[in-house]
Amino acid sequence: MSELPDPQTPGPLHGIRVVECGHMVAAAYAGKLMADLGAEVIKVEEPGGDRARQRGPYPENIPHPEKSGLFLYLNTNKRGVTLDLETVKGRELFQRLVKDADVVVHNYHPTQLASLGLEYEALAQYNPNLVLTSISPFGQTGPHREYTAHDLTMWSAGGIVFLGGAGGRPDLPPLKAAGQQAGFQAGVNAGIASLGALYARLSTGRGQHIDISVQECLVAIMENNYIAWPYDQTTPSRLGFRLIPQDVLPCRDGYIYVLAVEEHQWQNAVELMGNPDWANTELFQGFLSRSVNWDALKALLEDWLQDKSVHEVYHGAQQRRVPFAPVSTMGDLLKSEHLNARGFFAEIGHPEAGTLRYPGAPFKFAASPWTLRSPAPCLGQHNAEVYCGQLGLAPEELQSLQATKVI
Amino acid sequence: MMSEQLPLSGVRVADFTWVWAGPFCTLQLAHLGAEVIRIESESRLCVTRRIPPVADEEAGPNRCGYFNQYNQGKHSICLDLKKPEGLDIAKKLVAASDIVAENFAAGVMDRMDLGYDTLKAMKPDIIMIALSGYGATGPESPYVSYGPAQVPMSGLASMTGFPDFPPMSVGFSYGDPNGGLHGAFAVLAALMHRARTGEGQYIDLSQWETSVALVGEGIMAQEMNGAAPQRMGNRDPYMAPHGLFRCQGEDRWVSIVVADDAEWQQLCAAMGKTDLAKDARFATLADRKDNEDALEAAVTDWTTTLSAEEVTRTLQATGLAAFPAITNKELAEDEHLHSRPFFTRLEHPEVGVRQHAGVPWNFSDTPCQVRRPAPCLGQDTEDVLQRVLGYSADEVAALKDNEVLT
Repeated sequence: MSELPDPQTPGPLHGIRVVECGHMVAAAYAGKLMADLGAEVIKVEEPGGDRARQRGPYPENIPHPEKSGLFLYLNTNKRGVTLDLETVKGRELFQRLVKDADVVVHNYHPTQLASLGLEYEALAQYNPNLVLTSISPFGQTGPHREYTAHDLTMWSAGGIVFLGGAGGRPDLPPLKAAGQQAGFQAGVNAGIASLGALYARLSTGRGQHIDISVQECLVAIMENNYIAWPYDQTTPSRLGFRLIPQDVLPCRDGYIYVLAVEEHQWQNAVELMGNPDWANTELFQGFLSRSVNWDALKALLEDWLQDKSVHEVYHGAQQRRVPFAPVSTMGDLLKSEHLNARGFFAEIGHPEAGTLRYPGAPFKFAASPWTLRSPAPCLGQHNAEVYCGQLGLAPEELQSLQATKVI
Repeated sequence: MMSEQLPLSGVRVADFTWVWAGPFCTLQLAHLGAEVIRIESESRLCVTRRIPPVADEEAGPNRCGYFNQYNQGKHSICLDLKKPEGLDIAKKLVAASDIVAENFAAGVMDRMDLGYDTLKAMKPDIIMIALSGYGATGPESPYVSYGPAQVPMSGLASMTGFPDFPPMSVGFSYGDPNGGLHGAFAVLAALMHRARTGEGQYIDLSQWETSVALVGEGIMAQEMNGAAPQRMGNRDPYMAPHGLFRCQGEDRWVSIVVADDAEWQQLCAAMGKTDLAKDARFATLADRKDNEDALEAAVTDWTTTLSAEEVTRTLQATGLAAFPAITNKELAEDEHLHSRPFFTRLEHPEVGVRQHAGVPWNFSDTPCQVRRPAPCLGQDTEDVLQRVLGYSADEVAALKDNEVLT
């Protein structure tokens, strides 16, 4: 196990102050990316809490707002306060938080911004240097700006769902990727744009508003699938021809992903299989033939794989420079010798959920490391610290805010 | 206005990346206004200059949609890095840059004498990012990795798919753009660090790890309960209906999500099905999950009578989430995306005007937009050598004669 960085070492975003609000994944992941690199992130939740708290996984599958695995993962290294932005007093407190902030990132819907006081013009009054990053399904302008959305409908609106699913099965629908992928993609885009605007501010001295459309973030990552239309008027789909022979195939103890793009990779794979006679037949010469005859090839590969372990096929292939990969389960990842040697998983205790391992640094900074300094906040955990300690409210005022359900 | 200040105006990137993840990282930096200079080679063409789609069925390194999409706004120079003069130019370019990006397998840059320690000696505050499949350390770091493999390796495939089917891919090489985006975020954070401390640094990005970042809830489930979520197609444990429903037309589908019991009543009203609204099998989320096959069949009875667009309009008018499973052609023609405006249409010397996907962020003060189309192979070699590195025209001509600029 490699040594984890000292959590006291300042991260690259040390000194940056971020206020994050909204629900679920997109704003929270943007906030997490910044918090994990050392920014001071205050997560502002409605008194009822972020809706991610209402989604599992939960220990023993018993719902509990402080034990949602999704929420715990997305909100590491943040302080958490509650605030009702629809009240006058709540609005006033939020403005005071904004005054001290460098970035506000949120994913409230465009139709809610006026009633929550989250419009740029409103917030810029209190802090003209503010970077306000607004994430919304279709952006702040255009005929679909008011459309309602969830992760599935965004994966659909971004054009990606049409690509996924079971090849050769027109009876089955297109398939979404597991989890909350539209939210993650919007989150990392919001992180990039927020830091870009902060860097701009170093020379312009001005803040600005960034409008991020989840749909556009998804169209942008489709590789050659969008651009096929303007270039050759083809429409890739799950039912279409795949140029590159690749598939997930069963071994005796799991699944292996087989892929051999270059000719030498295929030849090495043939050698790994013990040079079977069928590999020399006309059907499988050149990757185009192997793509066209994939169904026949797949059956032969499955036959070879059926008594092999994923481990032996993966390492055997890779030792011959063949890019096969294991189809990991979550358990495989946590046990991975490689990931553990890199110190990828990071462990931390939480007062309600206990000590757990979390996915750790997605990038390793040599001088200013990613660190896990604190677990996700309990609902309103830092109300006193932030409202009294930072904004200077008296303890009685805090009580009155609680009594009137502003926090 | 093209002359306006951009977030990364004045930042130069020596871009040794190729194929997928790396160029998508530096595309984000180009979008933000950095001067991104790709170091290419005629003898080792980027894969994306060789694969479909190609413009008008005519192949050629400057005619590929993939390259021209992922390299908008960048510059291209050709260098033979195997020749000492070529290597020397590359090092001078690094010395004149703020950022170096590369996505070779671990160790390749070191073997070319372009490793971080060498480059740091040329430019003490250089920021270098390596985007490899496995990361620079660990027992599997020498292994070969392609972006599509990140979906299975990260565990995303094991949770994606229909029940009773094997794990499935997500339809594209998701690990590449995702790794590139995380890389761009990391570079920006390193720039902020440099602005505060004066210090550059090396960033080791593993595409495998950036992909695992997308399945955090699965890792947490495994840690909490020793088991990950099962493959459930398009369904969701907390919402129903939640899926893609067949519509009129060939292979036409609409996505619909009903978040709670009140929305279910709304959907029944929108469908004009008062009987379903009273049906005890569907009254609560638990009921709908217990009878989800029947539930989906009932919704499909309605959607198959309409186009995906009609379903979307009807449901969105009542505030319900729905959208067609849109194709690339429909995206290209989408009125909403055009109104933003999202697409860029710049004149490219070989393929003319093509409608490319543009910048997915609108900045109010420093508007980011694509300022030039993807470069033709080596189109900026002379300009970069003279303008950036101070070579004379004669020196460039001599380098050309010695086949260094190929």
